[in-house]
Amino acid sequence: MTEKMFKDLDPILHSQLRLAIISLLVGVQEAEFNFIKEKTNATAGNLSVQIQKLKDAGYIQVNKKFKDNYPLTTCRITRTGINAFETYVKALQGYLHVSTRP
Amino acid sequence: MEDNPHLSPSESLQLISEMIHSVKKRYSENGFLYLLWGWVVFFCALAQFTLLHFFHSPYHSLVWLATWLVLIFQVFYLRKKIANSKVRVYSDAIIGYVWISFVVLMCLFTFQLSNLPEASRHVMFIPVLLALYGLPVFLCGVILRFRPLIFGGIACWLLSVLAVLIPYDYQILLIALSMLLAWIGPGYILKEKFEEENAH
Repeated sequence: MTEKMFKDLDPILHSQLRLAIISLLVGVQEAEFNFIKEKTNATAGNLSVQIQKLKDAGYIQVNKKFKDNYPLTTCRITRTGINAFETYVKALQGYLHVSTRP
Repeated sequence: MEDNPHLSPSESLQLISEMIHSVKKRYSENGFLYLLWGWVVFFCALAQFTLLHFFHSPYHSLVWLATWLVLIFQVFYLRKKIANSKVRVYSDAIIGYVWISFVVLMCLFTFQLSNLPEASRHVMFIPVLLALYGLPVFLCGVILRFRPLIFGGIACWLLSVLAVLIPYDYQILLIALSMLLAWIGPGYILKEKFEEENAH
């Protein structure tokens, strides 16, 4: 499997942490920043950066509010994000199919 | 977790599967509200039956005022629960809408029934109530993939048929029985499963 073969994969999603975030959000309605941090074992700084990249791509929606005087960030996947995720999974399945063909 | 852009397709699929699995809790409900409502309605039904059957009290229906207190408590309980939850899942929202539909149906049914003569009202009320009640219980069972609730919903429908055949005061006992089958039984099983799942 060469690097060239991955060229069609969405570069926004083809990264461990961003893919983990999207995979978490695809199964829920909304999740708090700390929930995503807990599930992905990422550092807060790295997670913030990747969330911002996903937001800039329009894949997730980020809401910032206050709860008991503390800032609270919640994320939810957008329609664009769901479509991108589905396309990405189909592409992966295609690659696996090619690589396992005798 | 790092920002590794050199994932193989199988690693990517494994990561996706792990993440989806990590949020997919089989039992996210601890059964508390099922048990609370189950026992309150159970005792209200028994109290109404006792007042009507043994004491012939004209105020037998007043026991149901207790359910308003539970309803107020539930509003505060759910608000606190939602505020404390770090994640919101689709099934909770769908179940919420199922119960809202049930409440709307109940209001419509009560309004329609108020136009009927009192004798017909007594004959119809509990059988239709049980039939309507079976719907959200059955659907919650399907959504949560929890068989005791599915059976509970079906039990409500069977009790609804039985209710047509017996006098009004005994129909009230069927409400108590429906609580045992549709909420109290499944509620305890749900509580046990939730505790088991969260102990790991």
